[in-house]
Amino acid sequence: MLSFAGYHRPDGRIGVRNRLLVLSVGGLTGPVARRIAAGLRDAACVVLPFEAGLIGQDKRVHDRAALGLAAHPNIGAALVVGDNAQVLAALSDQLGACHQPHVVISMDDCDNDVFRMQEAGLRQGARLIHQISRQRRAPAPLSALVLGLECGRSDPSSGIAANPLLGRVADRLIDQGGTAILGETVEWLGAEHLLAARARSTQTGDAISAAVARREAEAMAAGVDLLGRNPTPTNIAAGLSTIEEKSLGSVAKSGTQPVEGMLDYAQTPPHPGLWVMDAPAFAPESLTGFVAAGAQLILFTTGVGNSYVSALAPTLKVSANPDTCTRLSDQIDLRADTALLGGDIPAPMVDAVLGQLAQVASGDLTWGEILGEGDEVVSRFGAAL
Amino acid sequence: MKDLSPASRMDAIVLADGDTVATALRALGAGETVRLRRGGASVEHRVCEAIPFGHKFALFSIAQGDAVVKYGASIGTATAPIPAGGHVHIHNLTSARARPVAPR
Repeated sequence: MLSFAGYHRPDGRIGVRNRLLVLSVGGLTGPVARRIAAGLRDAACVVLPFEAGLIGQDKRVHDRAALGLAAHPNIGAALVVGDNAQVLAALSDQLGACHQPHVVISMDDCDNDVFRMQEAGLRQGARLIHQISRQRRAPAPLSALVLGLECGRSDPSSGIAANPLLGRVADRLIDQGGTAILGETVEWLGAEHLLAARARSTQTGDAISAAVARREAEAMAAGVDLLGRNPTPTNIAAGLSTIEEKSLGSVAKSGTQPVEGMLDYAQTPPHPGLWVMDAPAFAPESLTGFVAAGAQLILFTTGVGNSYVSALAPTLKVSANPDTCTRLSDQIDLRADTALLGGDIPAPMVDAVLGQLAQVASGDLTWGEILGEGDEVVSRFGAAL
Repeated sequence: MKDLSPASRMDAIVLADGDTVATALRALGAGETVRLRRGGASVEHRVCEAIPFGHKFALFSIAQGDAVVKYGASIGTATAPIPAGGHVHIHNLTSARARPVAPR
């Protein structure tokens, strides 16, 4: 049974990294948050640009994501800055409840002096890093992993090799008691009946169909016909004949396990297994949905190349395009072109990928981490006041 | 990175047991005998037309109106009879899900 070495957190989850997160709740303190993070060793910085004026679903999602990111198991401690003391106090209470080391600094605390916020942030951040540096990795089972599954800048190699490889890895991880999340709702269009057929409950199956129908309707209302010109001329030239084929190639990332349920954006899976998340397809939003839900790692396939990764969850870039793998050898973490060339995804290849996942979970760096190619973007859905 | 080079190159890939098409891993010439893995074994098929990289060819003859199966599921319906080794694409395969572009 494979395992990895991770950071055992007080809330029972296990992290694959141990960084300080400097989180700005609202964009008013974004610039100072970036200055604070830049002055501290290996600090991640996430700026949630929206805050005041958010209502309804946007407010719920924002609050859920802020907590999900600040309490994330890959984060040893959180330094939270913002201009609204009440909002920060509420988040602090929640972080206290899950025993996440943290400090909150509001503009009230600094008499609205941004220089004082910067100094306080650097000082408190330094103390938090000092504290969390005492953490050590310890053995952990793969079942502790929540894996996000993503594709971007796909080409024919994605649907016939890279995504099926992810599906095999997801199947194996779930066999071992782990969790995987498929998002990008619009890419289920044409294959949603098959995802629904794999659902544990008819409720979930109905939710999957409804989520796709809702997105279709929203697109139509905005004058975008998702089915009218899909597959696109580029897709057709590349060999994709129907929307079903295109979506099956994308949904192949999810493997063959039953679908436990459908998650809202940034919602934590209540128990292990394969979950689908109703979320936008655009990578920055999609990845943050997984990470705020607790995903510690992400597998992200690309055809022609796409350097974007999560800021908080090590993201393995995967490609089955031999040219991409060669040309972008210092941006692609996992070559799946052997699956393409061999016309097969043999069990030893899946074993090797799981092994690499365990290595990254245990500390091997991905190219995106080395380059700092990551960010976190929380989706918006409606108007703000 | 581990070297996972396959023992021999394949010319096409079958995504699931029960698929009625294979996808070309390189441009295939009309009349070529190509190698692919199916059911855990390496087998040979002859393609009767040129098949570009990433395009599909039929593993068996497919009757008009039959489902075309890839990834273990129907990706559409054949609009004409397709011979074994024939190119399968928009000229002889129609989606069950697509909607024609509405005139504006």
